[in-house]
Amino acid sequence: MSRVFGWRSAVAFAALAALPWLPGVPKYYLLLAFDALLFGAIAMSLDLLIGYTGLVSFGHAAFYGLGAYATAILLERGILSLWACLGFAIVVVGLYAAVVSYFATARRGIYFALLTLIFAEVVFTFFRYTQTFGGSDGIQGLPDALVFPGVAIDTPARKYYLVWVYLLLAYAVCRVLVTSHFGRVLVAIRENEDRARFLGYNVQKYKMLACMISALLTGLGGAIYPIRAAFATPDLMLWTESGEFIISVMIGGLGTLVGPIIGGVFFTLLRDKVSSYVDWYFIVIGVVLVVIVLFLPKGLLGLRRALGFGRWRATA
Amino acid sequence: MDYLVAVLLPQLLHGLVFGAALGLLALGLTVIFGLLGVMNFAHGELYMMGAYAGIVVIGVTGSFWLALVAAPVIVGVLGAITEAATLRPLYRREPLYGLILTFGLALVFREGVRQIWGGDMRRILPPFTGSTPLLGMTYPDYRLFLLGASSVLLLAIWLFFTKTRAGIIVRAAVQDAEMLDGLGVNVPRVFTLTFAGSAALASLAGLLLAPVFTVYPQMGVEMILLAFIVVILGGMGSMGGSVVAAFVIGLAQSLFSLWMNPQRVAIAIFGIMIVVLIVRPRGFFGREGVLE
Repeated sequence: MSRVFGWRSAVAFAALAALPWLPGVPKYYLLLAFDALLFGAIAMSLDLLIGYTGLVSFGHAAFYGLGAYATAILLERGILSLWACLGFAIVVVGLYAAVVSYFATARRGIYFALLTLIFAEVVFTFFRYTQTFGGSDGIQGLPDALVFPGVAIDTPARKYYLVWVYLLLAYAVCRVLVTSHFGRVLVAIRENEDRARFLGYNVQKYKMLACMISALLTGLGGAIYPIRAAFATPDLMLWTESGEFIISVMIGGLGTLVGPIIGGVFFTLLRDKVSSYVDWYFIVIGVVLVVIVLFLPKGLLGLRRALGFGRWRATA
Repeated sequence: MDYLVAVLLPQLLHGLVFGAALGLLALGLTVIFGLLGVMNFAHGELYMMGAYAGIVVIGVTGSFWLALVAAPVIVGVLGAITEAATLRPLYRREPLYGLILTFGLALVFREGVRQIWGGDMRRILPPFTGSTPLLGMTYPDYRLFLLGASSVLLLAIWLFFTKTRAGIIVRAAVQDAEMLDGLGVNVPRVFTLTFAGSAALASLAGLLLAPVFTVYPQMGVEMILLAFIVVILGGMGSMGGSVVAAFVIGLAQSLFSLWMNPQRVAIAIFGIMIVVLIVRPRGFFGREGVLE
């Protein structure tokens, strides 16, 4: 257990759990924290694929958006149970992810990136133009979901704890995976796919599994989004959204798990803060991205080392 | 017969026109991909800036023809500066970084244009109107010019790559940049100039298509996906394949829209690509081992 969960993670999660108890935290900031942690968790799931397996997925927005639509469709029809929503999201995202990962993992490098991108565009186009699911407006005005009959996730604090639990579970899953034998094989595939194959590993099976796990975690993240926002729109699946997930991974630091969480939080806060002052915040985000690629290839976590701190835990 | 002349034939021509322009866009993309291993996400923005550079030049001089010369120069210079300043430091790093970098550049370019010229749709008027009787129907002159100009450009590019020393050096750099460096060629300069050339081609495509389509900051986002599909279909790094695939996609797009509503056309195009990749994983003319 300690191998998986260091004291630093425990302190960090405890501090995050205490956030709603701080005196005078406005509701708006709790919801912003929701978005930040959700984005961070999804970036972390993507890191499993990019940082550890060396597969750049440009289609994660589709998993995210499908999860969101799964919840939205159930809530819209009056099925309010959180567990039903999550279960439905797992089924929907799982089926789609199985198809995508089967075809995409057969290819490497840029082909993988573009195949995931095109598959995601198919899903986006489908939802964008299907009036049953609201077309470009998506599904709006959803009721609150229920954890148990009678216990609704209605206050910002409850919504915040929902994402906190999700982040905790997702982090535990990812951390267990990357420290396990399975995780080491993924790194071996990233470093030298052919050699991993010669050693007798069924490389595509490992890549597919990594892809499925990453997709399901992202889909679950998508599934809790409408519970906070009360809507799901096709824009959640736009390929630029996938780009923003990748940006978060890069900002934080590839192959570190913690880095992408920080990257996702940083990205969400940056977007929120900058967009409240200027309407050209995309320029700021673009420039930040360019600067990080050019000068901080290891991301924000790389800063620690540059500043003389010890290395973050071994990156498996 | 009436159906043929009144419906099918114009649509086929539309497809050819669009395919030729798409070919210009995809060629630049595929050459850059072959050279730098980078899928240039900012390519669509270079295409878009070609149209805006055209609007500016037309606004100042009032001449479409002058714009046709000036816009590629402006965007080409911008491309050269961008390449030298941002992509050059990344040559020795993984292609992933180039992909992310160009994604960031695309954001900056798109938002920059929106800030300067606003987000609303604009039009560039064709330099000449009128239409020509052709095979029993009438077809707009400008579209015929567009088809002719794009075809001439494609031919010129082909001659450049096969007949000139500069073109052969670029092809050699695609094959093996390190070896070329060893032979005493200034490879970084080749990269920068090629990037500038590809930017100029993209901007030409943007300006040539502007009188047919509309001009707005997001216009590149939709084209770039099609251009990606073209490059993949043709086979990564295969220039001939890109041109063939551009015509296939151009024709498919315009023929499908006869029978389906436009939204389903997009899905059909994606479907074509997915099927081709499953049957012929390397596209029409892709070779084994090219950047996999």
